[in-house]
Amino acid sequence: MLLEVNNLWVSYGGAEVLRGISCEVEEGTIVTLLGSNGAGKTTTLRAISGLKAPDSGEVWFEGKRIDGNPPQNIIKQGIGHVLEGRALFPYMTVLENLIVGGFLQKDREHVAKNLKDIFNHFPILKERQQQPARTLSGGEQQMLTIARALMGNPKLLLLDEPSLGLSPMMVREIGKIVQEIHQRGVSVLLVEQNARLALGLAKQCYVLETGKIALCGATKDLLNSDEVRKAYLGL
Amino acid sequence: MLTAISWQDIVQCIINGLCMGGTYILIGLGLTLILSIMSILQFAHGEVYMLGAFTVYFLCVLNGVPLYLAVFISMLTTAGIGLILERVLLRPLKGVFMSYVCATMGLSLILQTAVVLAFYKGTKQLPSLWPGSFEVGGMFFSKERIVAIIIALFLSLALYLFLKRTKYGLAMTASAENREGSLMQGINPNVMSALAVAIGSGLAAVGGALGGSIFNLDPYMGGLAFMKGITLIVIGGLGSLMGTVAAGLVLGICESVFALFFGSQMGIIIPLVIVIAFLIFRPKGLFGHD
Repeated sequence: MLLEVNNLWVSYGGAEVLRGISCEVEEGTIVTLLGSNGAGKTTTLRAISGLKAPDSGEVWFEGKRIDGNPPQNIIKQGIGHVLEGRALFPYMTVLENLIVGGFLQKDREHVAKNLKDIFNHFPILKERQQQPARTLSGGEQQMLTIARALMGNPKLLLLDEPSLGLSPMMVREIGKIVQEIHQRGVSVLLVEQNARLALGLAKQCYVLETGKIALCGATKDLLNSDEVRKAYLGL
Repeated sequence: MLTAISWQDIVQCIINGLCMGGTYILIGLGLTLILSIMSILQFAHGEVYMLGAFTVYFLCVLNGVPLYLAVFISMLTTAGIGLILERVLLRPLKGVFMSYVCATMGLSLILQTAVVLAFYKGTKQLPSLWPGSFEVGGMFFSKERIVAIIIALFLSLALYLFLKRTKYGLAMTASAENREGSLMQGINPNVMSALAVAIGSGLAAVGGALGGSIFNLDPYMGGLAFMKGITLIVIGGLGSLMGTVAAGLVLGICESVFALFFGSQMGIIIPLVIVIAFLIFRPKGLFGHD
């Protein structure tokens, strides 16, 4: 099991956001975490990548325990995290954003190779490489933040609501990108409000409701049950 | 009041202004770096500037080390002191803003007193960077001031290239622009802070050496220098290095020109008025974006 989250409790201030959630990501799969606003999806990802230390519980990655470590060390293990709201470096160019994405790579050749690869897959980023990141459209920015995370050659990619604020056409693009990423062997934990998009991609699905896992199972099983579809997935 | 002012006076005034501006820039750059990356105001930064100057005094005047070598050594040792400062004082206090204020203010007093005890009060002087002046077309240019301007601009350019062209420089820029985004690329925030304080302190040390050589050298010179640094940040814009450089040159020239035409009191007051105006009408500064 690539990623295991066991009985995670996370609170902000005095307020409990996650109440003993557990989930896992098998290597080479796309897993999705669904839920409405405030359910705790973003907090889950932040607890995994180390931006938020959990109150209790465990996070295991490749058989090693990672919770409680500083984020830069967790990223080094091979996790990429595409943050909610993208967190681009707005005044740096597209190219500079990507170069910083390759910060942990051992040498310049690796970075250059990754860059070439990224530009092949995202020709629009190549076109706009000298533009400051803040001048890109919403969809382009989303592409950039995903591409930046890929520059780090992650084994596991945490994706926080990549479809947010995008047009239906861009959402389909993002879906294709996630599939391509998966085909290259990267495992994905996809957090989404857009259930349709997420379930079209993921093999395994968790539904988070006010800090607890309300539902989990193989996507096709969940989609086969009418009640589940209506009550939890809104489809 | 307005006695006959010749072209020579004006030229000298501008050169003087650029030179003062240069020292302001060298202190402002460090303050901006530290502020952008650590979100704190390093209240002892003026004393770091002063310490840099006194290190040169100790090496050069008291121990015969050649001036330029002494400045170079001072830059490195003061950068080292910056590293220690970050590790020992600033890092343990992370997250609580008022702690930084108290700690760095306290440090500034400690440094001032330490230097007074070591070297006694009273104004001292560092040897000139290059005594004498050039003559071009009947006008005289002070050599040492020209050298100071060149050094300040050179270091500004070096910093710019570091931030734009090196891996760690880009990482520092990234940390300043989006902290969490930078963490998610595997960048260690402690290393970024250490670099910011070290580089900032090294630059301030050179600024102090230039100031101590051309203007004056005393244990309390840091307070004024700190004020100038803050002024640059406000006028130039938070987080903008180019803004700091531009503001420094503009401020230096303004002070000098106003002092020439209206007396030295105006030279001090006018910039402060400009700062207030900026705070009211354009808080972002000339180039700022934070």
